Amino acid sequence: MSRELTHALIGFFGVIAVLGGVFLAAYGGDSLDAVIVLTNRASLLLIGSNSFDSVGGGFLANIGISLASMVVATVLGVSLGGATTAPNPMVRNTAILVVNLMRNSPWLVVLYAMLYLIPFRLSIFGTEYWVSPAAKAVVGLSVPVTAYMSEVFRAGIQSVPDGQWESARALGYRRGAILRRIILPQALPQMIPNIMTTYAMLFIGTSLVVVTGTKDVLSVAKTVIASDGDDYATAVYLFVLLLFFIYCYPIATASRAIEQKIRKAGLHG
Amino acid sequence: MFGFDFSWLGDPLYQSWFMKGLATTLLLSVVAGILSILIGIVGAAILHFRTPFLAPFTVILIDLFRNTPPLVQLFFFYFMLSDVGFSFTDPLTGASMPVFSGFTCVVLSLCTFNGAIAIEIIRSGISSVPSQTVEGARSLGYTRRQVFLTMELPLALRMTVPLMTNNIVSIIKTSAQASLVAVTDITYYATQAMLETFLNIEVMMVLWLIYVAIATIVSLGARAISRAVRIPGYGLVS
Repeated sequence: MSRELTHALIGFFGVIAVLGGVFLAAYGGDSLDAVIVLTNRASLLLIGSNSFDSVGGGFLANIGISLASMVVATVLGVSLGGATTAPNPMVRNTAILVVNLMRNSPWLVVLYAMLYLIPFRLSIFGTEYWVSPAAKAVVGLSVPVTAYMSEVFRAGIQSVPDGQWESARALGYRRGAILRRIILPQALPQMIPNIMTTYAMLFIGTSLVVVTGTKDVLSVAKTVIASDGDDYATAVYLFVLLLFFIYCYPIATASRAIEQKIRKAGLHG
Repeated sequence: MFGFDFSWLGDPLYQSWFMKGLATTLLLSVVAGILSILIGIVGAAILHFRTPFLAPFTVILIDLFRNTPPLVQLFFFYFMLSDVGFSFTDPLTGASMPVFSGFTCVVLSLCTFNGAIAIEIIRSGISSVPSQTVEGARSLGYTRRQVFLTMELPLALRMTVPLMTNNIVSIIKTSAQASLVAVTDITYYATQAMLETFLNIEVMMVLWLIYVAIATIVSLGARAISRAVRIPGYGLVS
């Protein structure tokens, strides 16, 4: 077993042990009762329904929202990142301004803003659509993440040496073709760890969608606490912390490992 | 203008709300910012000297706090510590105040999340101090502690100003979640103003602009600091 993997496993089980220790310290003799409450409510917290046969939200909603925002943010971020490297100064400066505006805005405020900016009903070609809170959450989370993705994309493009651009231009490639066929294939591997870090950050940010009224894990947790009593608040929040940790930690650790591998390859190659 | 109504901005009540909220937000950010840098220095020192027992514990805490949402941490602290219920007597009013108020819990959750990141930042700075510098100092008779305090730490702090700035800006942005535990920061007052005026979009736009302005001012200030303390030949010029 490699050293990194050992370290990662120690971190993983160490954190679970710490959370377990806090749980025991908080509940003492009543730990068993709290465990029973948690096992009864586990399906509600995980998939948002009382039994495991249907899906209604919970932690799964967080995962779904994060994946959807990631797709939106990647598509928009790539175009915006491309614009920040555009040769036209007008386009470039506007794009840089937009990125900075989006990056410097608090996620919570953006989510609140989207809650009111996006109408409840949307009519497209005469058909009425009801805009669900989850859709608003996806749009709200995509705003800051688009800015981060465009930065990742720009840094990736800039990590490719200028000589590649110049020789491709000398061979008669157009700008779009150079980006697509020469720069991107080289830049993509460099971008993977940063994309993963951004996704982990986005996933941590999905905890904020509780303000939009989605059935995410935190709002389910609040419902559970309201119905089972404040005594179990600590246990429920420890469980939610554990869920987030189990999902984010492998992503963060893997992205760091890949980054180190790339750096080593860069030093030797 | 575009059918927006900004006349409420002239109302002294809303102005005083926004000023009060702004003061709380800035106080939160300053306290949490200073504490997170201190946590970063102490944590990096513990990891650097491989302090027995403390070092593995610090690594585990970093893993825990970096990979969980600060909002869940905040709710957790808020519920767990309010049960503990220490209180102190306010010397000015004589009233009994809970130690773990909403404000303390917000500072705590900002410190744990961004403090963990600060430790990593300072650690990366220490590891980028050239080994020749450290070896040179050691051969001149400096102890490991002296090398750390007089060379590695100051150099690391100087080299990591841009990363630390991102962390501080992140604290300012994350402090908006204070409104969710009824701490009267600027987001809290903005939601109150929305409830009264029903001008949701306008209030949100003003709030958004205020946050962007604070973040931009901090970034610009930090860029000036970064230029002033830059070590020639190290790091990127920004």
